Amino acid sequence: MSGHDSKYFSTTKKGEIPELKEELNSQYKDKRKDAVKKVIAAMTVGKDVSSLFTDVVNCMQTENLELKKLVYLYLINYAKSQPDLAILAVNTFVKDSQDPNPLIRALAVRTMGCIRVDKITEYLCDPLQRCLKDDDPYVRKTAAICVAKLYDINAELVEDRGFLEALKDLISDNNPMVVANAVAALAEIQDSSTRPIFEITSHTLSKLLTALNECTEWGQVFILDSLSRYKAADAREAENIVERVTPRLQHANCAVVLSAVKIILLQMELITSTDVVRNLCKKMAPPLVTLLSAEPEIQYVALRNINLIVQKRPTILAHEIKVFFCKYNDPIYVKMEKLEIMIKLASDRNIDQVLLEFKEYATEVDVDFVRKAVRAIGRCAIKLERAAERCISVLLELIKIKVNYVVQEAIIVIKDIFRRYPNTYESIIATLCESLDTLDEPEAKASMIWIIGEYAERIDNADELLESFLETFPEEPALVQLQLLTATVKLFLKKPTEGPQQMIQAVLNNATVETDNPDLRDRAYIYWRLLSTDPEAAKDVVLAEKPVISDDSNQLDSSLLDDLLANISTLSSVYHKPPEAFVSRVKTAPRADDEEFADTAETGYSESPSQGVDGASPSSSAGTSSNVPVKQPAAPAAPAPMPDLLGDLMGMDNSIVPVDEPTAPSGPPLPVLLPSTTGQGLQISAQLVRRDGQIFYDISFDNGTQAVLDGFMIQFNKNTFGLAAGGALQVSPLQPGTSARTLLPMVAFQNLSPGAPSSLLQVAVKNNQQPVWYFNDKIPMHAFFGEDGKMERTSFLEAWKSLPDDNEFSKEFPSSVISSVDAAVEHLAASNVFFIAKRKNSNKDVLYMSAKIPRGIPFLIELTAAVGVPGVKCAVKTPNKEMVALFFEAMESLLK
Amino acid sequence: MISQFFVLSQRGDHIVFRDYRGEVPKGSAEIFFRKVKFWNDDEAEEAPPVFNVDGVNYIHVKVAGLFFVVTTMVNVSPSLLLELLQRIARVTKDYLGVLNEDSLRKNFILVYELLDEVIDFGYPQTTSTEVLKSYIFNEPIMVDAGRLPPLGPAAMFMQGTKRMPGTAVTKSVVATEPGGKKREEIFVDIIERISVTFSSSGYILTSEIDGTIQMKSYLTGNPEIRLALNEDLSIGRTGSSTYDYRSSSGGGAVILDDCNFHESVHLDSFDIDRTLHLIPPDGEFAVMNYRITQEFKPPFRVTALIEEAGPARAEVLLKIRADFSANVTANTIVVQMPVPSYTMRASFELEAGAIVGGSEHTLRAKLTFSQESHGNLTKEAGPVNMNFTIPMYNTSKLQIAKKSKTYNPYRWVRYVTQANSYVARL
Repeated sequence: MSGHDSKYFSTTKKGEIPELKEELNSQYKDKRKDAVKKVIAAMTVGKDVSSLFTDVVNCMQTENLELKKLVYLYLINYAKSQPDLAILAVNTFVKDSQDPNPLIRALAVRTMGCIRVDKITEYLCDPLQRCLKDDDPYVRKTAAICVAKLYDINAELVEDRGFLEALKDLISDNNPMVVANAVAALAEIQDSSTRPIFEITSHTLSKLLTALNECTEWGQVFILDSLSRYKAADAREAENIVERVTPRLQHANCAVVLSAVKIILLQMELITSTDVVRNLCKKMAPPLVTLLSAEPEIQYVALRNINLIVQKRPTILAHEIKVFFCKYNDPIYVKMEKLEIMIKLASDRNIDQVLLEFKEYATEVDVDFVRKAVRAIGRCAIKLERAAERCISVLLELIKIKVNYVVQEAIIVIKDIFRRYPNTYESIIATLCESLDTLDEPEAKASMIWIIGEYAERIDNADELLESFLETFPEEPALVQLQLLTATVKLFLKKPTEGPQQMIQAVLNNATVETDNPDLRDRAYIYWRLLSTDPEAAKDVVLAEKPVISDDSNQLDSSLLDDLLANISTLSSVYHKPPEAFVSRVKTAPRADDEEFADTAETGYSESPSQGVDGASPSSSAGTSSNVPVKQPAAPAAPAPMPDLLGDLMGMDNSIVPVDEPTAPSGPPLPVLLPSTTGQGLQISAQLVRRDGQIFYDISFDNGTQAVLDGFMIQFNKNTFGLAAGGALQVSPLQPGTSARTLLPMVAFQNLSPGAPSSLLQVAVKNNQQPVWYFNDKIPMHAFFGEDGKMERTSFLEAWKSLPDDNEFSKEFPSSVISSVDAAVEHLAASNVFFIAKRKNSNKDVLYMSAKIPRGIPFLIELTAAVGVPGVKCAVKTPNKEMVALFFEAMESLLK
Repeated sequence: MISQFFVLSQRGDHIVFRDYRGEVPKGSAEIFFRKVKFWNDDEAEEAPPVFNVDGVNYIHVKVAGLFFVVTTMVNVSPSLLLELLQRIARVTKDYLGVLNEDSLRKNFILVYELLDEVIDFGYPQTTSTEVLKSYIFNEPIMVDAGRLPPLGPAAMFMQGTKRMPGTAVTKSVVATEPGGKKREEIFVDIIERISVTFSSSGYILTSEIDGTIQMKSYLTGNPEIRLALNEDLSIGRTGSSTYDYRSSSGGGAVILDDCNFHESVHLDSFDIDRTLHLIPPDGEFAVMNYRITQEFKPPFRVTALIEEAGPARAEVLLKIRADFSANVTANTIVVQMPVPSYTMRASFELEAGAIVGGSEHTLRAKLTFSQESHGNLTKEAGPVNMNFTIPMYNTSKLQIAKKSKTYNPYRWVRYVTQANSYVARL
């Protein structure tokens, strides 16, 4: 070959394509090869050479492997845009797949798998079948990967042709390269399927462990990563696996080391012998440290992983803190990670060494790094009580250098130190105040102001200091304004003299009238009211003792940490995010699911008519109850099947899809909470109901979209009653045009929201096809009225008397009518509002009743109404005043 | 697995681009380049090697001034991808002799052929130059190495020392020599990168050696090679801390903290006679990596002093003493010392030249400041950082003896010590 390939890139004259066409059809082999090279060159720089498709494909029938490969490269690129022409190549492919040369056989299968054209995949099956059983390992390993390629295009075909079984057979192949590729292909197929396809049994386990020793480094990673999904049966098996994997820690390839670490960490969970665990920790330390001698890119990945490992098992690297000291030439992203780990490993034993390092870093040139180093000193102070004083003296030393950003960063961390050790280190405030006028960053300013306010009584000129900030109040960022407001109030409460009084007026004026920031305004108004009505209360609120803080920044919560540790050596462990957070690959629905699907579809159909009947004849139920959606109309009539149903529901049995129990899905129509216009065709209606002492969320979905909706999930925001789902939402895939209704058991007092009681229930529902839907519902308090709410006459009287008059409230329900006392009593009793006594007062009936909500809070009720005349007066006495508003809401709806 | 592999120049031009799975939206190379060039998330200036943009994960390394990048959509092992990128760079260099934009462009067809064998459907297959030889048919086109800037750890052998032909390390392992017959030769490099931090009073705070035994073989027929290391070599630190620097330095056993080996190395007799057996595959590879924190004699003693000399003035005194034998010369020496940001003028007195073992060099500098210092000069200046290369010197005293009874190829055993992070605090 003469000259350089780069000549093919040379700019082209007019008529390049016809020229190439001519060359491609030349009778000389070399000329044709050169022409194809030119075509590929044009292709890689983004020129469209697809019009030469036929001519290039014509060059495919050649013995020359070099040329053949070029043509294949071209084919892969353009077959998709020219599917009809791609068929032309099929014959050659099929022929090549039977070529005596194994390289050509493998090449044919490899390339066919890359051509994602349906018509070609049909022809791929036979060659693939042959190649999976080829004598040559190179062909078999290529075929193994090709199965994964085909699965990606047409999963059904792969299952129909039994390729999955063939692939599983390859796990026992005698060539480790073939085993590795089979494992990789199976793992990928498993990832994109919801069905168990590749399950590691103890039998495959031993095969994989054997293959591990002979594989290439890449194959070792595939195998190790697959093994990490295997759950050992007991401690002995776990130890056995670990023993086989430990030699991998000596591998020069960092990926092998990290994957081995992952398996050892996972299996260690099962190992009970502390000796073995300690020994393993000892063995893992040197290889982990050695990762830090690799290229900086790999160091970064290693450090992010080590960050997780030391959170779970701090002992592993407890004595190795020196290796995390920053090197002069480390890239910034490595330095930042090292700092993080140094903080995690800092202890009373090594803190002096660590502080010496931090101090050095804090005087380097890179501003971000310096800031982080200063912050690190603060975090060590918060973490290690005994070292706090040393940390502070280092910070003071740094402040003295008077490098602006160092000073500001130091003040921010000192504020946190004051929070952590109140009344301990205030002597340094004077030093801090010296730097007051150099502060120009909001966070530093806010921190300084907080310090002044918090310790106003110990700073003689606190008022002057604050005043200097006040001049620029309107221009300050919100963060600083809020701190200034609070600090001024603190100052005033601590030193209620004239100066502070004037200041507070100015600030309150600034923060209420002259601001657009609602947070600031609200806070100012609250202070204002507190100060004007009850200064003592203001003191209790503003100067209240604050909870002590701890250094939990950058500490992951334990469930996320476990999740991430199971993902050691993956991207997830680098981002510190669970895989779901950044991987968005759609799982293909395998056919097994389709079958299931057919069943549930029938369910859907059988269900909807029954609903239709109900919907058509709501009047068939008892008159009163049909208007009260709370209680099932059929409840008194159909007590028998209920316990069973509930048992099922409580047991979360998968089979509870409401097929043939009329009680659950029937009943009055539920209020629509998510109209189909908002839900892109999906309508959701729901209501809280109480049945047999248990609260359920009666929810119904109407699928008005064109697609099948499945994977429904529900979540409730924090609420006054702490209602949360007591189990998973059981809704089978919903065919277009059908609906499903289910009873979701609820538990109370799970996620309580603080603040005033409210009936608001915020609900989020998601499914696999649509975005998450949010809607609001009201919690009817009567769903909480307990069956144990009945009181004896005497105890009612006693309770009534024992409660102060403050606790009595009354309200008129002008539109409610009691048409018959007996009916009303019966109706209310159904909602666990129990009748106690009754008396006549002129033309009106007075009913005494009781109800009880969880945690033993009683409601003593007096209803006054004239039968048949609109207007019911409801009086109530209860120890829990806050709940009264909600109670009235509930009663009004019950009496409608 | 891997969706795409591409190589970009420093200006962001595509040099190589291969899509393995067709799942990443168009324009990923541009998105990557923009992100790397203008990285300011987290306020760090240099982009981390692994990041995610709109669901696409980008993993990259920089080799020879080029970006080697892969993209992926799934939660794979980033260390695998980073290792693979380094390995692809190495294999390409094995084939092309020199790795740079020019050689990649000239050989793009060969590079694509390589990429097809190295990665299939996003799964790494093999990165062994040896194995690849049987599947690769294109011949490399050599670029003129003479005019090219030297690369990699081998580069240091091309300057100064005349021990070996300058083109040896830049020649392709697969290309046939123009002269016809291939030369039977093998290169074994013991490269040690040392990190030392001196405290302001001259004590050693931390010290570490990262060593590699690199081999590049041009032998035909793949004979077995035996590498004998020091017989008293031991692995694993004992319980007592190795950080206390008592005066027990000098001769003694070499103790490695940890080491790992290339997969072609058989360790059957390593525990007995410290000999590595291997059949070297073609191409360049690390036979063994090791790490030492055992005390060692640093090649240079660095002491730095900065003192106020009147208002808004300071004097710097920097001393470097070469603590190695006089027949060794260190070169490519750079000493850096940051001075306070308000320094206006600095005047030097410098004894220049390469540093010969045993010599001592002093630098004096006078600084003039725009303002008075805060009396904390030592915090605002420094630390002193030193860069150097010392050929034919190894810090750890790890030795290699090559034993082969009958077979005698040209062999080049070379030692070199480089500074990794060599810092003296003020």
